[in-house]
Amino acid sequence: MSALAVRRPSQRALLWSLLAALLVLYGFPFLYLVMTSFKAPLETIAVPPNVIPKHWTLDNYSTALRRDAVVASLINSVSTAGISTLLSLALAVPAAYGITRFRTVEGRVFIMIALAARMVPPVAIGLPLVAMTRSLHLIDTPAGLAIAHTTISLPLSIWLMASFFEAVPESLDEAARVDGCGRIGALWHVVLPIVRGGLAVTAIFAFLASWNEFLFALLLTAVNAQTTPIVIANFQTQFGLDWGPMTALATLYSVPVVLLTLVLQRHIVAGLTLGAVKG
Amino acid sequence: MGRMKDRAFALAMMAPAALFLGAFVLWPLVKLVIDSFFDISPIAGGPRTFIGLDNYRQALHSSDFTHAAVRTIEYTAIVVTAEFLLGLAAALLFSMLGQRSSVFRTFFLYPLMIAPIVAGLLWRFLLIDNIGMVNELLSRVGLGSSADAIGWLSNPHIVLFSVAIPDIWLTTSFMTLVLFAGLQNIPAELIEAARIDGAGSWRMLTRIILPLLRPVIAVALIVRGIDAAKAFDIILIQTKGGPDNASQTLSLLIYQTMVRFREPGLASAMATMYLVAMLVVAVVAVWFIWRPGAEQR
Repeated sequence: MSALAVRRPSQRALLWSLLAALLVLYGFPFLYLVMTSFKAPLETIAVPPNVIPKHWTLDNYSTALRRDAVVASLINSVSTAGISTLLSLALAVPAAYGITRFRTVEGRVFIMIALAARMVPPVAIGLPLVAMTRSLHLIDTPAGLAIAHTTISLPLSIWLMASFFEAVPESLDEAARVDGCGRIGALWHVVLPIVRGGLAVTAIFAFLASWNEFLFALLLTAVNAQTTPIVIANFQTQFGLDWGPMTALATLYSVPVVLLTLVLQRHIVAGLTLGAVKG
Repeated sequence: MGRMKDRAFALAMMAPAALFLGAFVLWPLVKLVIDSFFDISPIAGGPRTFIGLDNYRQALHSSDFTHAAVRTIEYTAIVVTAEFLLGLAAALLFSMLGQRSSVFRTFFLYPLMIAPIVAGLLWRFLLIDNIGMVNELLSRVGLGSSADAIGWLSNPHIVLFSVAIPDIWLTTSFMTLVLFAGLQNIPAELIEAARIDGAGSWRMLTRIILPLLRPVIAVALIVRGIDAAKAFDIILIQTKGGPDNASQTLSLLIYQTMVRFREPGLASAMATMYLVAMLVVAVVAVWFIWRPGAEQR
């Protein structure tokens, strides 16, 4: 138990009630979103607003899913995030291995460049990327958007994978190479199986970076490759403030990742605190 | 296994990622800087004329740009300050409650995974003047006179604080997580020694805990500061930068200059200045406070 732990029961009771207040504050907004998605259309904008639906209905979900581009956007979101995650891992794993295993000057420079890339505002890359993806015939395609998303996730992935590789003793690779594995063999057969938890963390973060991204999706897609965040945002302009279907789609889009957090929380905590606490 | 061959191998492993970053980060940035010196027709393949520094002059003379720059700094300060204070309070709370609070720590994480666009939408719904839940709750507990007492998103004087709320809600968990991990690394003897010396809670916090947490705090503030200064979707979905541009930050202004006012050259000049400012601030901050990996080699 941490040295800061408080033991006196009266103080603990106070702290627990503070925590309860904090959790209500944190849980309520999302709960309200989910509840609203199950209300009848008129009830969503009732004055004064109420939390629990008076009549539970799935109407908002069927309205949202029947609307143009909604189902297609969900497919686009999955495929864009999938392509971007694979691309990010395929590039980051060898790069991070090269950086951490063979202490070269280039490696040190490269990890600093990866860090600097994280500071570039997306809008600064986004403007020229429009013309670039157009001339590569990748505009308005999941592949083109996935490339743009990888500019965000690759620096983070390199950074994360480098930290995970650092934790594996180099004697293991050397032993594998004495046993006749090549350098690639040592990475593939010995080191990667050890860091598979780290691979999972990196994959989750790369996937989420693409899944939740908005600006590149707005600039680089029009009709065919629109992802769900764009469709959610469009609900408000096309049909006025159409809260019901909008909250239904937002719920549908968020619940899988919220459940993912709860299931994989150990890995996610590791990824988020890595570097920050070590560095 | 010569040293030279190792080096060649390391370079070969880094090459694909380096090429990717070169082609899709560095090259676009070079193009951005080049574009900033041209007057460009918004139509694809349209004419472009070299105009030197005119775009920069125009940007610096427009109050839109300078106001947006100030607002970006204010927004970042609001978000980072609020997240730090809330995050530290939550991290201390979790530490004081010990192991039994670990389940709740997990629950506390969930907003981190939600798309900013969804968080912005959700809070817009909660804050909206006449049907919003926040005003309704405030009036029920007697803090607001009526359900539309506070124009969270329509009053230009407070809108920058209001649009920051979803950002704070979304990522205070990150601050909490990092600070909590830092708190766990503080040696128990130091805390005990201070307690025996009769240090009160406030002295314990300001003289022992915060100084020891300094490196962790620095990283958390830098990471969150960089992200907050890039804020785009959260603000766009809530106010589109309004009312009266009162919540228009640089990312929004640049996007609108490009898409709505269709001036790619001017937008590029603004984005170039924004980029340079971000890199300078970030590099200075990292160099002086953080120095990642310095102790490893």
